[in-house]
Amino acid sequence: MTEKNPCIWKKPAPMMNKKMMKSKVLIIGGGVTGLVAAVSLDELGIDSIIVEKEPELGGKVKKYSRVFPDFRSGKTITQNLIAKIQKSSRVRSVVSTSVASVERVNGWYVVTDSNDTKYKVKAIILACGFDVFDARCQDEYGYGVYPNVVNSLELEALLEAQELQGCSLVRPSDGNPANRIAIIFCVGSRSRRLGNPYCSRICCSYSTKQAIEIIEKNSDASVTCFYMDIRTYDRGFEEMYQYAQELGVKYVRGRVSECSALPNGDIQVRAENTLLSKPVQGIFDIVSLSVGMMPCNDAAELAELFGIERSDDGFFTRKDRFFFQHDTVKEGIFLAGSVTGLKPIKDCLLEGTSVSSRVAAYLNRNK
Amino acid sequence: MESSETKNADYGFRIKGNPVLLYKDRSLAADESTHQMEKALRQMSMEYYVLDRCMQCGICSSACPNALLKKENIFTPRTFIEKTRLGLLDLNSDDLWSCTHCGSCRIACPFDIPLPDVMAQLRHLVVEKGAGYVPVSIKRSISSIASCGNPWKEGAMDRKKWLCATGLPETDGYDERRVCVFLGCLAGYDRRARQTAEAVIRILQTVGVPFKILADEEVCCGDTVRRIGDFSTAEKVEKLNRKNIIKNNVETMYVLSPHCFSAFKDVRRSDAMENIRTDLLIELIYRLFIGGAFHFTARIEKKVTFHDPCFLSKHLGIINQPREILRGIPGIEILEMKHHGKRSLCCGGGGGGIWRDAVKGERLSEIRLDEAMETGAQTVVTSCPYCLYMLEDARRGDEKYQNLEIVDLFEFIGEGISHENH
Repeated sequence: MTEKNPCIWKKPAPMMNKKMMKSKVLIIGGGVTGLVAAVSLDELGIDSIIVEKEPELGGKVKKYSRVFPDFRSGKTITQNLIAKIQKSSRVRSVVSTSVASVERVNGWYVVTDSNDTKYKVKAIILACGFDVFDARCQDEYGYGVYPNVVNSLELEALLEAQELQGCSLVRPSDGNPANRIAIIFCVGSRSRRLGNPYCSRICCSYSTKQAIEIIEKNSDASVTCFYMDIRTYDRGFEEMYQYAQELGVKYVRGRVSECSALPNGDIQVRAENTLLSKPVQGIFDIVSLSVGMMPCNDAAELAELFGIERSDDGFFTRKDRFFFQHDTVKEGIFLAGSVTGLKPIKDCLLEGTSVSSRVAAYLNRNK
Repeated sequence: MESSETKNADYGFRIKGNPVLLYKDRSLAADESTHQMEKALRQMSMEYYVLDRCMQCGICSSACPNALLKKENIFTPRTFIEKTRLGLLDLNSDDLWSCTHCGSCRIACPFDIPLPDVMAQLRHLVVEKGAGYVPVSIKRSISSIASCGNPWKEGAMDRKKWLCATGLPETDGYDERRVCVFLGCLAGYDRRARQTAEAVIRILQTVGVPFKILADEEVCCGDTVRRIGDFSTAEKVEKLNRKNIIKNNVETMYVLSPHCFSAFKDVRRSDAMENIRTDLLIELIYRLFIGGAFHFTARIEKKVTFHDPCFLSKHLGIINQPREILRGIPGIEILEMKHHGKRSLCCGGGGGGIWRDAVKGERLSEIRLDEAMETGAQTVVTSCPYCLYMLEDARRGDEKYQNLEIVDLFEFIGEGISHENH
C-alpha cells in the first residue's frame, strides 16, 4: 500500500478541522526529540505528523540561551531542525493541540485531537518530554514569594536577555545590577519527601553552565553553588566543571535549609558547609533554584489513553531496559526522549534517531 | 576480625527485616572497636537503619536550631548521623544530649529520616544499658520520675493542695459527661505554669464545660522520659496514668501540654484506652471559640507575637488555630517572628532539654527571645508549658529582655473572658 505525498502543510487552517489525516507515524511532542525523529523518518522515506500542544515547535530547548557542554545556542538547534522538517514533504506538523482519544482499528491507530482532527497512523512515538519541578512545593526557598528567588528556566531567560541586550544580569525585584548570585542544586530532585527520589542528571551540568555564563559576561560577579554531589558525568561535562572552578565559581557542599528576604530585596541563604562542618550564611542578589525535572504533567493522562505503564517515579516503562528501549507493551507505540528518564539534549537527539529505526523496522514487519 | 559468615548474617537480617535479640553484653563499652559499636547499634533497633538513607546533604544541620548558637563545636545532625552509622559516635560526649526533639531536621530531611526516634534509641543505650555519659541533672529527673512520678521529687498531694489553696474547684459537673483534664507536671508544680492551669479552669467554668482535674491522680506522662531513652520508666508511668484514668471512668480527656499529648497518642493504642477520646485542650478551646461558645469583649491593646511550640506546629501541624483565637481578641496586633509556623525555632525544652543546664548565651530560648524582640512585640504568647518555662527562664536571665512578657495562650483567653464577666 503506497500513499501519495501530501502537500507541504504548515499551519492548521480552520477548514481542515474535522478531517482525517493519514500518515505512517504520529509523533506526540514537537520538542527536539520529536523533531529529530521526524527528520530521520523523513530520511528513511517515512511520512510522519508531529502534534505539539504549544503554539510553537521546538519544545523547551528553544528557550535556552546556551546549551552545554559546547555553549552553542539552543535556538539554533531547534531552528535547524524546524527548517529541515519545513523543507521536507513527508513531515507535517499540527500545533496547539493535544491528544483526546485513541482507537485501534484494523491494525491502524486512529487518534483524535482536541480540535477534532483525526489521525490515522500505523505507529505512534511518544516524545512529550518533561516538566520542571514546581519550586513552590519546597516552601523553605520562598519561590513565588520573593521576586529575587528564580528557578533555572527563569535564570536562563535572564541570561538570554543579557545576551541580547549586552547588559549585565539585573535583579527581578528592582532592576539593579546583580553581582552576587547563588545557585541551589537539587531542588525537587533526590528528595523522597517531595516524591522525586531520583537524580535529575542534568541540573549539575546546566547550573555549572549558567554559572560560567554569568562570570564570563561579568567578571565582577560572584557565583556560589550549593550542591550535594557534583554529577557532571559525561564527556566534556566534568571539564566544564573544572573550568567553572578555575573561573572562580564557588562550590559549597551543603543543602540550603532556608532563604529569607531582607527589606532591600536581598536574599539571605542559610546552609551548612558540610566539608567544613560549619554553618554558613550568605546574602545574594539573585538565588536561582536548579529545579529538577519530572515526567510531563499529562503523563498520567497519556499513559491511560495509550494503555501503557509508568514506573513509581512517573516515567513511562520500556518493554525492556536493555533490548527494547523504545518499545512499550503496546504494539506500535514507541517512546523517545525524556519520557523514559531525563536526558541531556544530545541524548534526546540520539533517541530521536534511534527510535526512527525501531519504527521503520516495525512498519516493515506490518506492511 | 570478622568472618564472612557474620557479614552474610547481618545482610540477611536487613533484607528480612526481622527483629533480632538485643546485644547480649549489657555493659557495652563505647571504646570497643568501632565495628563492635556499629554492630551493637544496628542490633539495637530497626530505627537505626534509616540512617543508611542519609546522603549527607546537610540540610538538617542548617535547619537545626542549634546551628544558630554562637559557640564552638555546635551539634550538627549531619555529622551525628555520619558518626553514628560508622560506629564512631562518642557516647560520652554531649552530642547525644543537644537534641531537643523539635523535629526541624525531620521536616527538612529529603529522605524523611526520623532522627528524634533514632536519638531516643541511642539514648536508651546510654541510659538503660550504661554505655556512656548521662548528664547529672537528667539522671536526677529520671530517678525522681521513677520514684515520685514527677521530675522534682515533689509530693503527689502537692498537685491537689495548690488547687485547694487557689479556691478553684477540682471538678465541676464531672458526673454528666466525664471530661477530664490532664495538666501535666509543669502545670501541677511550677509556679509560673500553675497560672496557666488556673486560667484553664476558669475558662472551662465560664464556658460551662463540665470537667475534672485529675490532680493527685496523675503522674508524669512519660513522653520526655521516653525521649530521653528510659523506656522502662516511661512504661511504668504510662501504666500508672492508664490505671488512674480508667479508674475515673473517663470518657474524654483533654491534655494541656502538647508534650503529654504526644505520650497519650501512643498510650491510646492500648486496648484499655481505646474508648477514651484524647485530644489537645487547645483544640477544644478552638472548637468552642469557632462554635461561638465564648467571645472576647474586653479589649487588650497589645502587640503580641506567637511562639509556635514545636510539638504543636512541627509534630501536629497546629499552626492557625491559636492564631485565630488570638485574632478574636479585640485590640490585639499579631506580629510574626522571622521563623514561625512550621519553621519556628525551638525553645530548647523538648527531649529532656528542660532538665539540662545550658550556660547563659548558649540557650536556644535566647535566640527565640531575640527574634521576638526584633518584631517589636511586647508579649510573647505560646501554648506549651515547656516553652513558657524555658522562655520565662531566659527572660529572667538577661536585662535586655526585661520589658518582654511571656504569656500562655490560655492565660490570655482567661483574661478576655473574665473581663466579660464583670
